[in-house]
Amino acid sequence: MTGATPASTAAGPVCSAEVQREIEAFLYREARLADESRYTEWEALVTDDMHYWVPAGPAVGDPAETLSYINDNRARLATRIRQLGTGSRHAQTPASVMRRLLTNIEVLSVSDDGTTYGTTANFVLYELAAQSTQELRVWPGRVRHTLRRVDGELRMAAKVVELVTATLPQPNLAFLL
Amino acid sequence: MAGTEPRDRPAAAVDYRTLVSEDRVHGSLYHHPAVFDDELEAIFTRGWVFVGHESEVPNPGDWVSRRLGREPVLLTRHRSGAVHVVANRCSHRGTALCWAARGTSNRFQCNYHAWTFDLDGTLVAVPYPAGFDRDKDDLGLDRPGQVESYRGFVFANLDGSAGPLATHLGEGGTGLIDRLCDLSPTGRIDVSRGWIGHKVSSNWKMWPESDNDGYHLNWVHASMVDATPDTYYNETVLGGETGNQSRAVDWGDGHVELDFRPSYTRALAWLGTTADRVPGYCQALEEARGPERAHRLLWDGPPHALVFPNLFLGEMNLAIIEPVSPTEMIHWHTAVQLEGVDDAFNTRLRRQSEAAMGPAAFIVPDDAVTAERIQGALAGARPAWADRGRGWLDVSRGARREQTGPGGERAALVSDETTNRGFWRQYRRVMSSRLTAPSPAGGAA
Repeated sequence: MTGATPASTAAGPVCSAEVQREIEAFLYREARLADESRYTEWEALVTDDMHYWVPAGPAVGDPAETLSYINDNRARLATRIRQLGTGSRHAQTPASVMRRLLTNIEVLSVSDDGTTYGTTANFVLYELAAQSTQELRVWPGRVRHTLRRVDGELRMAAKVVELVTATLPQPNLAFLL
Repeated sequence: MAGTEPRDRPAAAVDYRTLVSEDRVHGSLYHHPAVFDDELEAIFTRGWVFVGHESEVPNPGDWVSRRLGREPVLLTRHRSGAVHVVANRCSHRGTALCWAARGTSNRFQCNYHAWTFDLDGTLVAVPYPAGFDRDKDDLGLDRPGQVESYRGFVFANLDGSAGPLATHLGEGGTGLIDRLCDLSPTGRIDVSRGWIGHKVSSNWKMWPESDNDGYHLNWVHASMVDATPDTYYNETVLGGETGNQSRAVDWGDGHVELDFRPSYTRALAWLGTTADRVPGYCQALEEARGPERAHRLLWDGPPHALVFPNLFLGEMNLAIIEPVSPTEMIHWHTAVQLEGVDDAFNTRLRRQSEAAMGPAAFIVPDDAVTAERIQGALAGARPAWADRGRGWLDVSRGARREQTGPGGERAALVSDETTNRGFWRQYRRVMSSRLTAPSPAGGAA
């Protein structure tokens, strides 16, 4: 959310209802593509400087200093998606069957030039580990996006996923969270 | 204690001499509750187990929370500077004293009746002491019978009957730890950046196996190789059975290694870089060790090895293999950091650790799903099937071409199952001897 103005202390929204709807539509689309393991379409939503971060605790401090579950710069995210696309990523072969509920969506900030938005939402992801134990795994948490308008379209510049269970050992997390 | 005959305890319910042989093991060993219980006794109570590293508790009052088998313990740094291992369990009524993974405290105070313990486990205060007849000195926290460290690696033996740590590690085990620590210009590593836990629905023993199996890489990790074609794995483990010079090595006593050194064709190949890109590190190592030794170290890199039973030296990562139940385990890992090296270098190690290890990395999740598939497929294998020829797993690969090295180690092709056989040989030895030996207190366990 670099360069963004914090939400006003007033009750008023930081963006128009139209932009709010556009952002919500983007987040729902992103969630649906991740649920359905449509990796290439999902990757088309990210900026060239995308940072994808899933910390092993609260999302505070500099991720460079510690160890995270996922701490992908754009190049590493490309590797992640390339690996998922090989067809032999056993940890996702077959892909997990997933559906996530995205709720409590708020646009918290907008940059001074009006191109970048900071959002927060809660989620619950239901995952069937179809490639291994056949068990239902439930992943609750909060997701924060930094969305930037590029050539008129919204793109993800950052996605930070704070799992409720972040401090506990996690089972395989080889899908797009 | 090898060769100890049954004395004051009936023969174990499970016959490990039958279920483990030189070239095969029985599938029931991966899920039977009686086997798991025996392992907690023979391996995690009567044997040496890795606890943690001194760098995790650098200052007085620092502590980290661990499990020795299933026993919750705290690794602490006392004001004296000494490192202690104490039970994370009040000696009064059993309340856990700490909940976090790590912290800093002057004392441990139980929230139930406010019994207060020093960092070495000594009971220092209880409310209304006049009501107690027992001496406070007898009411300290449970402590392992033996705690020793080697180059900062702290090991404990709950029973205190396992003999010296040096005997457990042997030259094989100490040699592996030396090869990692010597990569640091000061000779010291640091593992204080936190541990990531990876929960796997598999028996714990699949990890000493899988972490040191040189046969699976072409298939389990094909997607990683396809997605990152320039990694050193190509030259060290791939390329067919005889396409590389790496070796599978059994150093004895369950300490086993995939030795990649013979495959490296340049210095720092193990780091995926070249000397000119990390000049600060190379210079620091040369100043500390002299050019010749530094060159050798930079070429050879860190070991990829198991220190029996629960410590994986995963090149520039450490992993702890924690048993949870017959069918669940946690694979903990952290990045090794080298003391006396610039932060850019250590940052690279942290990023590489994230790429390789943990639930979302490019390598280990594929091992985890494989372990879970094995676990599911073994669920029906019963110990009684052993003499009916059903439920056996083969670990015979390359047995006839093993060679004995100058230190008595056995070595074969990296894709041979020498490492797996080395683990199981030690397993068979301790499971069939320690369970039938008298407990240190003299009574039957």
